[in-house]
Order: sequence, then structure tokens, then C-alpha cells
Amino acid sequence: MRALIAALVLGCTMFITPVALADSPPEPEPDTAAAETPKDAAEERATQFVGVRGPEAESIPGGALLLGAYAIVWALLFLFLMRMRGLQRQTAEELERLSAEIRASEGQ
Amino acid sequence: MLFATLALFAAALYAIFVVAPVEQQMGIVQKIFYFHVPSAYAMYIGFFVSAVGSAVYLLKRDPRWDAVAVAGAEVGTLFCLIVLLTGPLWARKAWGVWWTWDPRLTTTLLSGMIFAAYLALRSMGDAGEVEKRFAAGLALLGLVNLPLIHFSVQRWRGVHPTVITGKGGGLESEMYWALGLSFIAFTGLAVLLIWARASVERQREQSARLRLELMHR
Repeated sequence: MRALIAALVLGCTMFITPVALADSPPEPEPDTAAAETPKDAAEERATQFVGVRGPEAESIPGGALLLGAYAIVWALLFLFLMRMRGLQRQTAEELERLSAEIRASEGQ
Repeated sequence: MLFATLALFAAALYAIFVVAPVEQQMGIVQKIFYFHVPSAYAMYIGFFVSAVGSAVYLLKRDPRWDAVAVAGAEVGTLFCLIVLLTGPLWARKAWGVWWTWDPRLTTTLLSGMIFAAYLALRSMGDAGEVEKRFAAGLALLGLVNLPLIHFSVQRWRGVHPTVITGKGGGLESEMYWALGLSFIAFTGLAVLLIWARASVERQREQSARLRLELMHR
């Protein structure tokens, strides 16, 4: 019985699919411009930086933004170094205190 | 190495502000790029070291590797913060917005959040074995995200520039010099900071061990 059902399904698939494909309207030819759109959209990002040759004024002054960015870098690095120095000092003091306590407990 | 790194930073700053030309379209704000990109690279170094340290710690349970993992995570997070703060300052001029949900920006933020969670977990007093192992798992999860950051500009559509790895015009030769020097300087700085922070972490581990020893006496 199962073999019969399988044969029917296979037969229907073999006969109906080509007929259905023949009846369906032909697919339009892919538009070359439309086909290139996703690629072009993907390539919208900047791919080069070109240097100015000769005098040219900026429409929006970026000096403050540049100064802010470099100030952030140095400030964060400085804060990190200060934090690490504090941590190192605190740990060294604690190590010394604990070593002294251990020595004292051994002496008792 | 410290003096070599300082000298490299001086050379990099000279190359950035004196040798490299101002960019035609963005103007002077493009010079953020020379610290922004190497910071991202230093972030990769930090997070990668953290993940390697975590993996070895999970295999060997050696506290020295845990110290390396903590140091890498902290230094990586520091540079991630620099990337996430300097990027918007450039974007404000280049894109007209401080932030956009571009794939690279989003995946970088995700990495920062993963390692911030790692540091939050490790900052809750003396970390026990379970906390250390859980944090190591987080660092490994963070490692999985690193290739996503790197390849996000190639695989997904976005607006982040690809001047180094893209197929466009790239950079002018003076710009390459400035960027190259900056890359070397930031690599030296990242290595120095990781080494110094790992030393402090090993001392802290030793201190915790002594405290435990004293309690059991």
C-alpha cells in the first residue's frame, strides 16, 4: 500500500510539475541595473581617503571634535594608569601587612 | 620597552599632525582615524589575550593564566571604550550623526558589553573558583564575537569605512606612514599595559591566598 501511495505521489510530481511550469507566465528578464543595485548599495561605504593638495577651507570646523577625541584617549589612558598605580600600592601594602601578621602568628 | 613606546607615540603624533595631509572631504576630523583604528586593534589584542588566558585557565586551573585573562579584559575594555568614544566624534562630522546601528558599531558595542560583564563579575570582591570559571566562559564568548566585528564590514551592508581592507583607493602614502607608526605604538602600549596589569593581578591573587592562610590558622 505504501509503495502504491509513493508511486502515485512520484507520478503526480513528475506529471503535474512540468505542466504547472509550462502554464506559469515566463519570468521577466533580470534588469541589469536592478541586479547591480544591492552590490552598489553595499559599496556605498567610503573606500578611500584623499589628501588635500593646496589651500581648502572646511564647511564644518572639525577641530573641536578632533581635540575632544585626542583628549579622551589621553584622559582614559591616564585614568587607567592612575587606577593601576593605586591598585598596585594597595596590594603591596596589604601583602606587607599580611606577611607581618603571618610572621607574628608563627612567633607565638 | 616603555621608552620605545613613548618614542613611537611621539613619532606617530608628528606623522599624524605634520606629515599626513588633511583629508579632502572630511577635513581635519579625519585625523581621529589614526588613533581610532589602532585603538580597535589594541582592543582585539586585549580581548584575544583575555580569551586565551581564560581557555588555558579552564584547562590548567593555574591562577597566573587567570591574571593574564583579567589583564587582557581590562586593557581590551579600555581600548574598546576609546574606540566607542572617538568613533562618534568622527561620525558626527562624516555621517552627520553621533551613532548609527551599523554592523561594525553594533558588534563592537556587543564585545564591549560582554567584557564589561566579565569585569563586573570579577570586581565583586575576591572571586571564587565558580566566578572565575564563569568569567572565563564569558571571555570565550567575547572571542567568538571578534571575527564578527572584523568581517562585519565585508559581509553585511553598512556605512563604516573600509579604507584599509576595502578595494577602493585606500590611503595616501603619508597617511599609511602615520597609521603604521600609530599601530606599532598602540601594540607596544597594549602589551605593556597587559603585562603591568597581570603583575598587579598576580600580587592580588597572592594577597588573597595569604589572607586565606591567615584565616585558617
